Amino acid sequence: MLKLAYDKMAAPSVNVCVESVIEHQIQEVNYDGQEIYVAPLSMSENLSKLAYKIDFFKDESEEKGKPTSEGEKETDEDKVLAPFQPSLWPWDSVRNKLKGALTEMSVLYDVLNIAKEKHYMVTDPVSQEAPELKASLQMLAKKKSLVAASQILSAGAERLKRVQAEMASNTQENFLMELLKLRKLWRLKKVHNTILGELSYKSAGSRFWQGGTFEVLKTSDLVAEGEVNTRSSSLDVSIPSELEGVAYIQVEVNDVPNLMDITSATLKMPAGLGTMPPDAYWQQRLEVAQNVLFCKELFAQLAREAVQIKGSTPHMVIGNQILTNVFPGVQLSIILCHYTGKEKKVALSSHKLEHNHVLEHSLHQLLRRVHDRNLNYSPPHPVNAMLGMTKRRRLAGPVATSRQELMEMSHSESLLEQILKQTKHSVLRLRTMRVIDQLAVTIQDPQICAHWSCLNNSLESSVRISFTCYGYEIIRNSLVLLIGTDSIRVVMKDGRVCSLSFEVTELRDLIQWQICQHQTMCVLHLAKVQGWTVLSMINNSGHADMEAYGTSSTVMLASPRGNVTMAFHSNPVSGQRLAVKKAELGGEVHGSPAVTAAKWAGLSGDYEEVNLQQLEGRNLVGKIDMLMARLNTS
Amino acid sequence: MGVSCVYDYPVPDGRSGAQVVDVLQKQVETMGAYKTGNFHIDCETYQSVMLNSPKTLHILHNSEHPASCFAILDSGNTLVADTLFNGLMSNLKNYYQARKGAKIESKGQRYQLADFVLKIGSVSLAGSFKGILVEVEYSPSLVAMECWNLMKELLQSIVGNIAETPPQTLKPRMDETFTPTMAMLQYLEHFNNFRNKAAMSQPAR
Repeated sequence: MLKLAYDKMAAPSVNVCVESVIEHQIQEVNYDGQEIYVAPLSMSENLSKLAYKIDFFKDESEEKGKPTSEGEKETDEDKVLAPFQPSLWPWDSVRNKLKGALTEMSVLYDVLNIAKEKHYMVTDPVSQEAPELKASLQMLAKKKSLVAASQILSAGAERLKRVQAEMASNTQENFLMELLKLRKLWRLKKVHNTILGELSYKSAGSRFWQGGTFEVLKTSDLVAEGEVNTRSSSLDVSIPSELEGVAYIQVEVNDVPNLMDITSATLKMPAGLGTMPPDAYWQQRLEVAQNVLFCKELFAQLAREAVQIKGSTPHMVIGNQILTNVFPGVQLSIILCHYTGKEKKVALSSHKLEHNHVLEHSLHQLLRRVHDRNLNYSPPHPVNAMLGMTKRRRLAGPVATSRQELMEMSHSESLLEQILKQTKHSVLRLRTMRVIDQLAVTIQDPQICAHWSCLNNSLESSVRISFTCYGYEIIRNSLVLLIGTDSIRVVMKDGRVCSLSFEVTELRDLIQWQICQHQTMCVLHLAKVQGWTVLSMINNSGHADMEAYGTSSTVMLASPRGNVTMAFHSNPVSGQRLAVKKAELGGEVHGSPAVTAAKWAGLSGDYEEVNLQQLEGRNLVGKIDMLMARLNTS
Repeated sequence: MGVSCVYDYPVPDGRSGAQVVDVLQKQVETMGAYKTGNFHIDCETYQSVMLNSPKTLHILHNSEHPASCFAILDSGNTLVADTLFNGLMSNLKNYYQARKGAKIESKGQRYQLADFVLKIGSVSLAGSFKGILVEVEYSPSLVAMECWNLMKELLQSIVGNIAETPPQTLKPRMDETFTPTMAMLQYLEHFNNFRNKAAMSQPAR
């Protein structure tokens, strides 16, 4: 049992008794309801438990300000307790702490005593007065420190300058850097003491015999001692002499009067591109050399094919030229121009060379495609299949492909054939364009409008031509031309298809014939609008005289009242003719029962031709429209 | 590849095979056909070694399908494969062995007559002449039923009355799409007949 006395300063002291409960703490309740109690703590156990709860460190700081007597009291208590249970381990720590506290207390007490008694020591506040400094002294110090700082800076600058100078003079490191750059862009290998590079397209699938090995040199080795190095880079490449210079493939499409103009096959060497400066950067030089090699390969391939292919007209290879016939009178010449700068200056370029850039580009593309095919095969490729076979060829065995199909499969178009096809197409397209433009300019009456499709490829393109008349735009006729390599397919408005050869006159005739038909259509349309009756309409009539080309189309119309008949005849060669017959409605009517209506009485009368030139109106349709309107009322 | 029918052209007694072939070629040429090269069909027979019930495997090649190799079992199951299959057979020596002296082939001229391809081949078994096989192919069609009457007319003018009915192997498949395998099956049937005849005549000797 513990008793605590509480003192309160304000209230009169009342003794409050705090007792712990007599009931034992329940440790466990059994299933049968029996309770197991914890045995009550003994006096000493209780005390030690409470003592553990005391935080001595906390008390220490609080007690510092308190009179020492209390601490002494505690120590007394401790002293009482210590001998009481010397062997008890838990109390040992408490004892140590208390002992430590006592020591500190005693020291504090001593210090306080010393300070208080003033027998042994005097404590004074420290004076805060700053020492007075002279201006001259200050300046000197600053000067000194500045000098030190400037020395550090100048030393650093000196070092930087030295490094800079070292870098400029030391080409070895520079050379290695450039070599590293070169290594990233080109294939290099080391053979003994030299570094060799490769600029051919062999690794990209080319099978050209000529190699493109170049040597990598150090500029510092080339420049003599003492001489000033003017070159920008410390690395140089030596390119084999056959790849020096500038080369390109010139493609020309010429109109030649004869079947094949051999006289034009002179050695043309336009120096249009100029030469490479000898001190050009190595990357540029290598690229140009690579281009030379590529052009050589391309030309060699084309020349080989030109000799091998047995066409209807032979291809000719003369010097650096390949001549072939595209169409009669049109010649394609492919020229390899290789300008090394060592040739004598030939005074030519008097005639303008018509270089076809598109075809040159296609040639490059074609060869690159060949390279690509040499390396890459069409993707799904089984591991166990033979390399380089297409999927169709691989399946030829299991699906029992016939001999004929296999032969077709193995046939591939050569570069020359492909470029010839492209040339044919481009020539044909240009011709068509010219014909349509000419017709559009010369023929004003129906307006000709051409819409070129932007979706085309190098072998096919299409154009839609539409005819309209000014003021009557609602009447529209159109035809589509599909321009291929050798022929033009024409799809007309009604879906008929006809094929034309490469001769432009055929196309011109066809368009003019279509114009005639368009005009007949216009007249028919007018008849519908004006209420005239169509008596007959023949698109391709066999009447009348034979014309040079085309057929005439005829229309017969009757006016709403039936008293006027109009005949329209349109032919691409002889032009348009219009005739009108007026029936005079006579006064007397025959009493014949066969004559049922008055109009049958006036069948007689002659057709009179109308001079279309002198009729008033902007165009033919306008003129006929006006005439019809006039005849309606008569 | 169109529909083709193969017929065995009987060699009359007292005439050699070469003579008959000559006559046939002349006949075809008078019909207006022109030569388009040679053709060659061969058949090799393999016998299974390990199995209790022996199985036969025929390997056929046709010059019309140069990339293919036809492997046909007795049951009629067919495998069409690459020519590399030949190499595979040599690796299977322990299971299938080639029957000695059983290589049979048909060789001859190939003729073209408009849409028809005519092939007159003399059959030889281990180097000795055994008979004549006439093949007529109609290229535009793929279903035998649809062009049989047309073919019959031409066939009857060449081989005569044997061509009254379609070939045995083709009969059940008249309305199916014709495949190169069907032609090979016809050849195989004729080859087997020639072999059996040769086997029959041998013990008598």
